[in-house]
This record gives sequence, structure tokens and C-alpha cells, in this order.
Amino acid sequence: MPTWAIEAENLVKKFPKRASANDAAQEGAQAAKPTRRLAWPFRRKEGPSWSTAVDGVSLKIKQGEIFGLLGPNGAGKSTTIRMLCTLLEPTSGTARVNGYDIRQQATQVRQSLGTVLAGERSIYWKLTGRENLEYFAALYHIPPPLARQRIKELLEHMELTERANDLVEKYSTGMKQRIALSKALLARPPILLLDEPTLGLDPQAARKVREIVAQLKAEGHTILLTTHYMEEADQLSDRIGIIDQGKIIALDTPEALKQRIDQQEVVRMEISGWHQELAASLQRLPNTANLVTRNLGSDSLYEVSLQTANSRAVLPGIIQTVNQNGTHLVNMNIVRPSLEDVFINLTGKALRD
Amino acid sequence: MATLSFPSSRSLAKMSLPSHWRALWAVARREWLIFIRYPSWIIQMLIWPIIFPLMYIFTGRALAGPDASGLQHFMQVSGASEFNGYVILGTTIWMWQNVVLWNVGFALREEQWRGTLESNWMTPTWRFAYLLGSSFPQVASMGMFLGITALEAGLIFGVRLNGNPWLMLLVLAACIPAIYGLGFAFASVVISVKEANTFVFLVRGLVMIFCGVSFPLSMLPGWMRGIAFWLPQTHMIDAMRQAALSNASLSQLAPSLNILLAFGAFWLAAGYILFQWMERQARKTGAIGQY
Repeated sequence: MPTWAIEAENLVKKFPKRASANDAAQEGAQAAKPTRRLAWPFRRKEGPSWSTAVDGVSLKIKQGEIFGLLGPNGAGKSTTIRMLCTLLEPTSGTARVNGYDIRQQATQVRQSLGTVLAGERSIYWKLTGRENLEYFAALYHIPPPLARQRIKELLEHMELTERANDLVEKYSTGMKQRIALSKALLARPPILLLDEPTLGLDPQAARKVREIVAQLKAEGHTILLTTHYMEEADQLSDRIGIIDQGKIIALDTPEALKQRIDQQEVVRMEISGWHQELAASLQRLPNTANLVTRNLGSDSLYEVSLQTANSRAVLPGIIQTVNQNGTHLVNMNIVRPSLEDVFINLTGKALRD
Repeated sequence: MATLSFPSSRSLAKMSLPSHWRALWAVARREWLIFIRYPSWIIQMLIWPIIFPLMYIFTGRALAGPDASGLQHFMQVSGASEFNGYVILGTTIWMWQNVVLWNVGFALREEQWRGTLESNWMTPTWRFAYLLGSSFPQVASMGMFLGITALEAGLIFGVRLNGNPWLMLLVLAACIPAIYGLGFAFASVVISVKEANTFVFLVRGLVMIFCGVSFPLSMLPGWMRGIAFWLPQTHMIDAMRQAALSNASLSQLAPSLNILLAFGAFWLAAGYILFQWMERQARKTGAIGQY
């Protein structure tokens, strides 16, 4: 029995620029320098240029833990997960899943994994929920009597028994996601790869999926979860890897990550009449760092976060700076740093940027 | 929430020949269920066997003249016993190849558009099964299409197929490997290049001009007849006309059947090799997940 459920060492994935148009959009991959090579004695030919979606990712995931891969859109989360589930071949580096090499033992890797990629779109909308599960049970080579028993149990588990014979196109997004999760569990795989499992769900459906994920861990599954929702990663994960521009820039438990940053408090404000000059004034205040702004829908109403080691000392200065020249403070809270603040501290930008 | 009695297991499911067959059958069943849930196929199946040959039949009537002497000349040149049946058999083979290029050729691409290709690709099933399995319902629906064509040709155009039905079925069976092999090759290329309309139009245009869909090959210049020989659809159309309209025997059909089987072996092998190539390329470029 391998010590680690997943072991990745120095995984790199580069895409040729032409072929990676879609990936670049998805992954925001950073461009590597174009290379030049001598093609013919009489002329120089421009070689292919590459975008690096994953740049030397190494991680080890323990048996039975939930590992959260947290990063903004385009950070390299999905590419990493696609390499681990053998959809993509790494440009370099190695990984083992359930003890099997992703290059040499791809079939065994796929047998060891349950995956939810692309969520609700990963199942057939013109089939019923039951037909979807019967179909995927056959693809996972589960004998029919066993498949029938598992499908019955999974439908009960996901509270979908009553709608099992309806076409999936009539399901809510949350119900579709639960069928996608059931599909991943059919072969009772030891490891689950869940790529943005709550993306696009309403809060109630997202909470339901998070409950299921927590229960799956309790039942012994190892789970690699990618998300750009920091609260989700914080709530579910035993350990978190923060990924940005294809690199893991921090890896630890959520609490340890939050304790890493020097600024122990975050001042969150809603400011009406915001203008860019105000950002410069706030950044000049002593003992503050990492100012991040977000428009709240109307032209001049902004949410502004500022990290500080001591909020009591800086508050008078903040209030005085904000409440002038037509701008005023609408709301203000002093909060403990979240994982997003850790990310801001590490990269200088917000997760949603 | 109920607890599962099968939480997780480190042991892997056993894969055997029967389990591979079940997977192949599951793909075919899935494709069939999706096909019948879009009921517009019934209308298409009823109208296309009439509409498409009609334009050639009316053109033929116009060219035949008031005493139908033009038609007599056509019969002499082509060796056909009746004009309508001659045209309908040509257009039916053309439509068969055309539908296979669109349906089988786009089978994987359509999965990609739906977003389901990756979830199939991540199972341990033999990946060619997705393409092979999805062609089974296509063969079944084309069987229905051919049956409806024969019925409508008799009822509406008065076509009498006077050949041995078993030999006609044998010719149809001999056409399957080449038609579907070309479809498999097409499907693999479509995943890589993401666009196929141009190729479909090119192939069906070639079949239309070179294979004698509505006229005898003797009308073509010599160099065009040379090209026609290398297109399997030429031999399909010729063999079907011999079997259905000229009551040809097995020994008379044997040369065409041998050629068709040789083309079938070539295109099935080409389809499989291109699929393997596409699969390797897709792992490098991420083409499976791209829309």
C-alpha cells in the first residue's frame, strides 16, 4: 500500500501557443520566451512558442485527506488535475496515483480515480439519471448485478431516487452535479478528483455538495479538490496548496497558512465615491499593506481591503483619509485574515483578479 | 443522508472480454437512446429518400424529350434496365456515405461539444469503443433508411428491385467496412483539426462527380475514370445496381465484392491508426478538453 495517495514531482505542462488558445483562456498561462532554431543553412525559421500552464508542481497527498488546490482562474489547477487523471501528458516530471505511474500505468490510474470535471456538463442530459449511471457503470466494468445495487444506493444517498427516471435536462444544476458525483463514486475509487465541484451552484446546492464531500472523506476517500472559492477550501481541506501562474506558492494547513502573514488583521470597508487617487493615499498610510479593491456594482461603490498588524493604530488615519473630497465610508469591519488575504499577501492580487 | 455500503476500495475492478463487450454495448445503447429522443429523425428518414433523387429524375425526364428517346439512349449507354432505380441506387449510396461522414465523423466532436468526452476518456474502457459503439445505432438507423428507401422507391417511383434479396444484403454488408472506416478516420481528424465541413463537402463532392451517382462512368474522361476506380463508392454503386436491377449472380458480383472488402480493410485500418494517432496527440495538446 503506497504511503501517498498522490505524489507529483516537478510536473510541467507547456502548450504550443497555437494549440493552447483555449487553455490560455482557461489557464491564463504565462508565455515562455519564443525559441529560435536553425532550420535550413540559408535562413532562420521562427520556432514554436510555448505557454507554460503548469511550472514544476510537486505535491504529496496523504491517504484519506482532502487536499485543496486553490488559485484564481487560469492558475494551472485544471491542467494539474488533468495530468493526474491521464487526460494530459506532462511535458516533464512524474506523478503516481494510488501507486501507479500516470505515464506507464494509465489504465490503472483511471481505475483508481473518480473524477468530476466540467461538473453538470460531464453527464448526458438526454439520458435519465439512472441511465447515466448504468452507462458509466458499464464503462467502469462493474458487473451488472453489482452496478444495479450501487446505483440504487447512490441514488438514495444523493436523494435522487424519485427523479432517477427523469431526463437529466429536467434537473436543477445541483441535481446534475449530484449525478456527476454519483458517477465518480460508482467504481468506489480510493481517490476522487473534484474540479470546481460547486461552480455555478446556488448557495443551498453548494452547501449540499460540500456536505457530501465531507462525508466522502469520512468514508475513507482521498479527495483532491480544486476551487477558487476560498471559504470552500478553508472549510473542507485538511491541507491547501495555493497555486498561481502554474506554481505552488504555498502549501500547508489552512490555519498555518493564515498564521504565516505578518499582518494579523484585515480592515474591510465599503467606500462610496471611490477614486484611484484615494488608493495611493491609503497605501501611503504607515503600518498597512496589500490594498485590494473591488467594484460592488455601481460606479463609485467599492469594497476595499487593507491588511495591518494593528487596526486600532491605523483606523483614525484611514477614516480621515477616506472621509474627504466627497468620498465617505459606508461600512467597515475588522476581520481575521482569510485564505484570500494569504493569497493577496503572497501575490499582491486578489483571487478573483 | 444514507451511508454507502461501499465507501472506497483500493482493489481495482477486473476487466475481462465480457466487460469490454458490455462497455461497447453501453456506448451503442446510449447513442441509440439519444438518437430516438430527437424525434425529427422520423421526418428526415421519410423525406430524404424521395427528395434527393427527384432532382435527377426530373432532369432525366426533361432531357429525354417527348418521345423518351433520350431515356432509351441513357439505358443503352448505362446498361440499366430502368432509369429511376438506377438514379435512386446511386443517390442512396451517396446519402449513406454523407450521413456517416456527418454522424460517425462528428461522433467524438459532438461529445466534445456536449462536454462529455472527457468523462468518457477518464474511464478505463478501450477508447476506440466510443467510436465503434456509436456507429452501431448508425448502422441500425441506416438499415431502416434503406428499407424505407426501397419501399418509397417502389410505391412512388414504381421501381422494382428484381435481384436476389440475399445478394443485395451481401453487397450492403460488403459496403459497411469502407463506409464506416472512412467515418472513423474522419472522426479522428475532426478531433484534431476541430473543423470538418470543408472535408465533408470535398468527399461528398468527389463521390457525386466521380462515382457515377446519376450517370454511367463511361461519360467521364479517361483520367477521371482512373480516379473513380480508387473511390470505394464507385464499386458500391456499381455492385448495388448489378445486384438489385440486373439480377447478377454471386460469381458476377464477386470482383466488386472483393474490391469492396479490400477497400474496407484499408479504411478500417486507416481509421484505427488515425484514431491512435489522434489519442496520442490529444494527450499532448489537451485537444480532448477543448471545445
